[in-house]
Parts: sequence; structure tokens; C-alpha cells
Amino acid sequence: MEDLAPRIVAYLAHKMPHASQIEVAGVSRIHGGASRETFRLNASWNEGGKSKSRPLILRRDPVASLIETERDIEYNAYRAFHPTGLPVPEPLYLETDLKWLDRPFFIMEQIEGCSAASPFNAEPYGPLAETLGRQFWTHLGRIAAADPKAIGFDANMGDIAPADCWKRELDKWEKVIDEDELAPQPVARAAIRWLRRNPPPPPPKISVVHGDYRTGNFLFNPEGHIRAILDWEMCHLGDPLEDVAWAADPLWAFQRPDRPGGMIGRAEAFAIWEKESGLKVDPERLRWWAVFNSLKGLAIWISAGKEYQTGANRDPVLAFSSWYCTDVHNRVLAKRLAELSREARQ
Amino acid sequence: MKPDVDQVMQGFFGTLLMDVAPHLNAEYSMGNVGIMGMMMFMTAEEHDRAAEIRVAENAEMRALFGQAARDVDDTGLKARLGEAAASRDASLRIKALDQANAALGGLLVDLQTYVEVSKAPWAGPLEARIWDYLVAATERRKLPFPSLG
Repeated sequence: MEDLAPRIVAYLAHKMPHASQIEVAGVSRIHGGASRETFRLNASWNEGGKSKSRPLILRRDPVASLIETERDIEYNAYRAFHPTGLPVPEPLYLETDLKWLDRPFFIMEQIEGCSAASPFNAEPYGPLAETLGRQFWTHLGRIAAADPKAIGFDANMGDIAPADCWKRELDKWEKVIDEDELAPQPVARAAIRWLRRNPPPPPPKISVVHGDYRTGNFLFNPEGHIRAILDWEMCHLGDPLEDVAWAADPLWAFQRPDRPGGMIGRAEAFAIWEKESGLKVDPERLRWWAVFNSLKGLAIWISAGKEYQTGANRDPVLAFSSWYCTDVHNRVLAKRLAELSREARQ
Repeated sequence: MKPDVDQVMQGFFGTLLMDVAPHLNAEYSMGNVGIMGMMMFMTAEEHDRAAEIRVAENAEMRALFGQAARDVDDTGLKARLGEAAASRDASLRIKALDQANAALGGLLVDLQTYVEVSKAPWAGPLEARIWDYLVAATERRKLPFPSLG
């Protein structure tokens, strides 16, 4: 395994010219989203005669990934939301020069003493489910309420009109399926056709969309406090109900569809989100985004399967996603689309 | 081949989780071992049922195409449906069944696209039959997920 520590030391020395005796210890790869290689490490140094240390997270671009995303989009999301008080790690350095670690990377604060739950567990949070659930939906409401321009989230994002949100996202993920499917996907193709025939009403405003806000993508401490919302790789501007539908997708803790993500009940969750965001959960838009999100999931899992099959990336999580998550989303979508087909024929 | 493949896969799943993972120091490696163990658990089931699922799906799609070939008006699609309905699985090897399954699945996409916008009296029942097939097929392929307590 490559020894990253001396190379990280060299980089930190470059970024911290007033520091001396820089040391990096405990470099350990962790599972932290399948679109970046994630490493935990501890940096220590001397500055102004004082010894300092800080636990850090390094996220490096992989050779191939579950989701091909730009690291600066994710980094910028942390930079935009950290000053707002939303629990996200403090971003420290973004580096695109390949000379340091061969691939682009960024470094951010490590949130200690916390854990993330498995999204495939029927009871991912045990007795903390209710307290975490209320925070989970409150934070999502705050993300939807944020002004993207005021917090600097919209940098390099490009403008999008409310009426165009759905089409841009659908085009993007249909292209992924077009490029990556290893076998015909009748359910996914039927979903794409339904989504195009039944476009949603435009959202009342353009919001920040996290893009992967769900069980498993936040850190919480043993006292039941959410300390960090992670994995902003797929964030963009769009309809805030996209995040609501993804967070409530049946894949996450799918044994309990009445309690999205294995936390609180659906009605309470949506009420909290509405209160915090100042927006309404429009059932017609939510229906569209729910079908879309199961399709988006399929696109991600199909893409993961291709990465593994072609040998571009042998991370076992890609094979697992392609088997298990494709299986769940195909079932969810087939049942839902069959209902919608019956409704359309009546 | 004894012990049976499903017993070996399930046994390996247990060994990886109970004997191997606890002795690993690297968190990433532990996670990978857990994922591989879960996939062995799934493989235990998939190994036993894979041929049956594919044979059943292929037969059901051919039967569906046989009915559709009588109804659809598009001559090109009608010919493709008739040809697919008359085809048979020449081998029970999984890769051969998957190849046939993919060819039939591609035709199913074309048929469903055609039927969805048709106002002909046969279109509604045929569309419903396609969905019955897809719901049943996706349910049949449901993978077992280990309960880890």
C-alpha cells in the first residue's frame, strides 16, 4: 500500500509556511462515499513555539468511481455551508496540482467521536432514531431555505430556471444509463418515458440540492447530535423536493417505508421540513421526484456495476451496489410504475 | 459437489464476519470484508436459483411476445416479436441464458414503448401484462439480505 504520510507532510509544509516539525500519523483509508478515496489522519506541527495537532480527512479523486463528480463542487459546498452553522466539516485545502498526491484532493476537518449508520439496516439508529430524525429533517429544511447566492454556493454552478430543473437532472442520469448499462433495463427505460410524459410543476424557487441526503451520509455522536452532513459530491441547484424524495426513498432502511431512513414518521418528517424551509411538500412534484430518485439510484448502481465489470475500479462496494441496490430499486420502480400505468389507462 | 455451494458460501460469510474481520486493523479492509461476506450470502441463494430465474423469465417474455405478435400493427416489430417468441434457450449455462435474456429484454423495451402510446383496444391489457411480468420478475430476483442483529 502506498505510503501517503510523507507526501501529505510535504503538502502541509507547502500550505503552512509558518509551521515546522510537521508530522502526519495514522493515515488510514475509510469508507467515505464511493466517489472519492477517503483517508483519516492526524497532523501535528509546531507553530510560534507551540505544539499543535489536528485530526483531518483527506478526500482524493479515484481512478474511477461510483459517481464521476468534480471535487471542487463538493469542497465549495462545505465552504458555503460551514459559516452558516449547518453541521459540516470545515474545509481546509483544495488541491488540483497532481504533483502532490497524483490526483486532485481536498483536506477538511475530521469530526471525532461520531459514527455513520448503515443505510441498509432496518433500525439504523436504535433509540436515537427520533431525536436524529428531527434534526435530519430540520437540517434538510435549512439547506432548502438557504440562499445559494448569499452563501456562495452557486459559484460555477450556472443558472437554472425552475421549469428546467427536472429535465436537466433527467437528461443527466439518462445519459449515465445510456453509457453504462451492461444489459437492457426495461424498468429504468419505462421510468424515463413516464418521467418525460409527466413533467412536474416548477418549484416556487431554486434551492441548494444536496443530491445524496440520506441515512448513512451524516455523522452523529452517542448523545444523539448530528455533527456533520457529508458526501456533497452530487450537490447542485434545483427543486428542493428532489432531496426530500431522495431522503425518503424506500432503499434507505427500506424495511420501514413509513419511517424514511429508519428515523421518524413520514408526516412528522415532512412537517418539520416545511416549517424549517418555509416551503410546501407539493404531492404532485414529490411524486415525480420520488420516481426520478429511484431512477437516479438505478443509474448510479448501473454505473457502479460497469466500473467493477470493466475492472476500472474493484472496490467491493461497487459490486454490492450493483447487485443489491439495483435489485431494490428495480422492485420499487416496477411496482410504482405499474400503479401509474393503471391510473393512466383508467 | 459437496458440501453444497450454498453451505460453503454461507459458511464463508460467517467465517469472514466472525473470524477474519475482528482481526483486521484497517477500517477500510474490515468494511470490504463485511461487504464481501454479504455478497457471499447472496451468492449462496443466487447460485441455486440463477438458471431457474432466467429460464422462467425467458419463457414468460417469449409467451408475451407471442401474444403481442398477433396484436401489434407495426410490421417490423411484429416480425421481431414472432421470431423472438419462436426462439429457445440452447444452453442452460448462465452466460448463455443472460445473453438470451438481454436480447429479449431489449425487445421488451421496444414493445413497451410502442404499447404505452397505443390507443388500440388490445394495448391496455398488453401493457398491464407487461407490468405483471416486470413486477413478478423483479420480485423473483429479490436478493436475500443477512440480518446482522
